[in-house]
Amino acid sequence: MSFREKTAWVTLCAIILVSLMYWFHVPSLLEPHPGLWVVHAMGVSLAAYLVIEVVAHVVLRMRHPRDARLPKDEREQLIDLKAIRIAYYVFATGALCGIPVMLHLAGAGPVAMAMAVFMAFVLSQIVKHAARIAYYRRGA
Amino acid sequence: MAPTLVTNSIRQLRFAHREMTQQELADRVGVTRQTIHAIEAGKYSPSLEVAFRMAEVFGVRVDEVFHYGKAGRR
Repeated sequence: MSFREKTAWVTLCAIILVSLMYWFHVPSLLEPHPGLWVVHAMGVSLAAYLVIEVVAHVVLRMRHPRDARLPKDEREQLIDLKAIRIAYYVFATGALCGIPVMLHLAGAGPVAMAMAVFMAFVLSQIVKHAARIAYYRRGA
Repeated sequence: MAPTLVTNSIRQLRFAHREMTQQELADRVGVTRQTIHAIEAGKYSPSLEVAFRMAEVFGVRVDEVFHYGKAGRR
């Protein structure tokens, strides 16, 4: 498994882990002041994600110092672009479909709208890194 | 994605050049070993620049490394 594929796995696992922790608390949206809770939860989740990413990448770089120094070559850049293209469609579809659903389910509050867009973003990032892994395993 | 008609003789050329490893070729061309493997297996068609660099490493013309069309299939 290449260094880049390993970093994609690390990022994918970190996003899934942190977003599970985050979404586990979604029912708190129904609390009296969900906006404050959401801002707090997003901050904690972001911090947790950054810590996991930094620690995991430092470990990976220590284990693969040679590969870590190399810049991405053309195939790796192409794989990133392909994955970003797929993630874009997921994000656009998720945001466009998620907002009406949230409006219907949770009322027209701005917090619900923000949650829909955030959910679409997280989903698109999961798809992006999953696509990167799939392309790395396939060759290109 | 449609299968490529581009084939190559990288494996034969590597062995003809003192059994050069994929890693050695990758270092000299400036790509990763995985990219050399993908090119060699026909899963990825490289840019012209990488193709020319490969030919330069082997000291041959580009069309001796890469072949196009059904005639090039092995």
